[in-house]
Amino acid sequence: MSGPDGRGTRRVAVTGLGPVSNIGTGVREFGSGLRAGLVGYSKIRSFDPTGFPHAYAGEVPDFDPGPTLRRLEAGRWGRSGQFAAVAARLAVEDAGIAIDRRDARRVAVVMGTTSGESRLVDQLAAQAVAAGGYAGFDTNELTKLPAARLANAASEELGAAGLSVTLATACSASNYAIGYGFDLVAVGAADVVIAGGADSVCRWAHAGFYRLGALSEDRCSPFDRDRTGILTAEGGVALTLEAMDRAHARGARVYAEVFGYGLNCDARHMVTPNADSIAECMRLAHANAGVKPQEIDYICAHGTGTAINDQAEAQAVRQVFGANPPPMSSIKSMLGHTMGAASGFGAVAAVLAIAEGFLPPTANWSIPDPRFDWLDPVPNQSRPATVRVAQNNGFAFGGNNCITVFGALP
Amino acid sequence: MSADLVVTGRGVVCAAGIGTAAMTAALADGARPAPDVTALYSDAMPQPTGYALVDFDVRALLGRKGTTFLDRATGLALVAFGEALAEAGLVIDDESRTRVGIALGTTVGSLRSSADYSLETLVADRPYLVNPALFPNTVMNCASGQAAIRYGLRGVNSTVATGRVGFLGALGYAANVLRRGYASAMLVGAVEEFTPHTAWTHHRLRRPGQPGEAAAVFVLEPRANAVRAGRRVLAELAAIEEGYHPGDDPAERGALLAGCLSGVLAEAGAEPGQVQFAATTEAWNADDELIGRAAVAALPSARPVRVRDALGDCGAAAGALQFAALLDAGGRGTGVLAGWSPEGAFGAAVLRGRDRAEVA
Repeated sequence: MSGPDGRGTRRVAVTGLGPVSNIGTGVREFGSGLRAGLVGYSKIRSFDPTGFPHAYAGEVPDFDPGPTLRRLEAGRWGRSGQFAAVAARLAVEDAGIAIDRRDARRVAVVMGTTSGESRLVDQLAAQAVAAGGYAGFDTNELTKLPAARLANAASEELGAAGLSVTLATACSASNYAIGYGFDLVAVGAADVVIAGGADSVCRWAHAGFYRLGALSEDRCSPFDRDRTGILTAEGGVALTLEAMDRAHARGARVYAEVFGYGLNCDARHMVTPNADSIAECMRLAHANAGVKPQEIDYICAHGTGTAINDQAEAQAVRQVFGANPPPMSSIKSMLGHTMGAASGFGAVAAVLAIAEGFLPPTANWSIPDPRFDWLDPVPNQSRPATVRVAQNNGFAFGGNNCITVFGALP
Repeated sequence: MSADLVVTGRGVVCAAGIGTAAMTAALADGARPAPDVTALYSDAMPQPTGYALVDFDVRALLGRKGTTFLDRATGLALVAFGEALAEAGLVIDDESRTRVGIALGTTVGSLRSSADYSLETLVADRPYLVNPALFPNTVMNCASGQAAIRYGLRGVNSTVATGRVGFLGALGYAANVLRRGYASAMLVGAVEEFTPHTAWTHHRLRRPGQPGEAAAVFVLEPRANAVRAGRRVLAELAAIEEGYHPGDDPAERGALLAGCLSGVLAEAGAEPGQVQFAATTEAWNADDELIGRAAVAALPSARPVRVRDALGDCGAAAGALQFAALLDAGGRGTGVLAGWSPEGAFGAAVLRGRDRAEVA
């Protein structure tokens, strides 16, 4: 594949997966969770939800970074940074890569996020309330606050000395990270990029989504006629992206190839998605990946479970794919909305669909929406399928759309 | 750098005012007393002064439509985006709007927006009685999303949260986008607001100088596009590189940064002795001092470019202000911008002044 500027570029392999989620940590657990249609949300434990009409979220229960981390001192980093570091370590272990000082400069990290160390923001707010002013801000939380530290935590943990960048493009941020990582490997700026994202469940996002009318009471049922919205969720996820030649040379297992990605911006509204713009993003992604719509066997949806997102997403699919679109499921039905990590989990699901030959289901689905009753959401049960090419959607506040495309090796 | 990238416009908003001239005048004075900020907020402040643009009035500048709920960082950024587009004479129409993108650097977006949102859940009668209209301000890509709406920019739109190297991170991202052909021009910059939250952060973390605020945005595009459109080239981005230093030995970090600088200079085809201006991260502590000295030790003729004494500590936007200052100072020569974060992220860029750039 060559870049749009016509120069030859390198092919990019996915050789490692590192999910840290509420339906399982590590690729085996996460993969079997997807196959089983496991649901990972429950009553909120990380903050006191008293007074909120809704009290469910997709927390990662008993998250303990200690056993996985080798270099990072977890206590010096926030929860989202810890998610990112653990995900990165798992992705590198899964890829079977050892990073030594000699090639550390060739290993970069790109992490996406919506709200960074959002739980620290909650803590700072509580400190301000307790002290009666912002003078109450504690240096511990302030030091750990910068969103840059999500990528930095992963770089530090891996001893990676290539660039370390956090992209804060909200709920499509992991796809941005994967796209940037794809470019860095393709043009030869890095040999390995650990790309993904992280976010933490927090009080203020729970409140905000509730007030937007976008928060479901206790379940997320994307593409169902009676869907009621999202559940906020958390986790960390990373993919090891590696130059194909390097992966082959070391005899690595290659899950899939990154074919390409597309990104654009609605530029119309901060929170309301736009079907035309999403359709355009799909076309950009297909062109960049060098695939035609009819070649795509599976779409891992953005699928938040809000009335408006699922409608716009389905409409865009219809515009681009015509009368016979491929199956499109939403893993947010199982995980909830993991924000900046969401499209990273989607990427892992798309890659596993290709590598292991199954379609992850949309859980909690019962009644077709008459406005898109043609849609096959892979209801409730995963199923075997041959997936040669998969498309992974990510949309966001700010109108930041980013879609990645993965394919099987020839 | 294979795609020959040039700067054709800039928009600067800082404590000294709106526009590059205000910044230039402030920097010419060297140090400048920080303005009185006591009228800006009703909250208690750590000190009565700070490098805020005290009379910034987003409604007066951008009109009432769409500005009611904007946070300060977004307001500052929107003005800077507009100035940069205007200076470049870059017209956004149906042909160009999908081909002009954004890469904006930040630390955490607007801390005031997110922290006060959380605070509302604690003090309101019911925890959910927060204002839904303010919720979009809490996401870190608010400023870039709003800029896209205001100026009709439907291309690549990215927020690069690399903190103190926020501008270098955004610059690297934008260079990649242009190199890959995903956009024909990028608006690249960084923003940081002055609020009680940032003032107290600065105070509690015992940072030197006084906190400031700024937004600076530049039009970056392939030279061929600039020439075709007849846009004036202000400078050439001759090279940029980023990295990370795991561990925390400042001597090692300084050596790494010096190595990074010699690497980008080699890529730019410039001798270290030709570098006339060097803008490096302005130190927060003794480690930073050491790293900064080591970084430029091999640049004998480089004059330091500093902005903090005149414009305050502007966090992610500090690098963007330095970049604007380099554009100003480096009309006939070569300048470097080098930055690093406390965690260990670093980067360096080479800027070639317009006279050299035009004949190159």
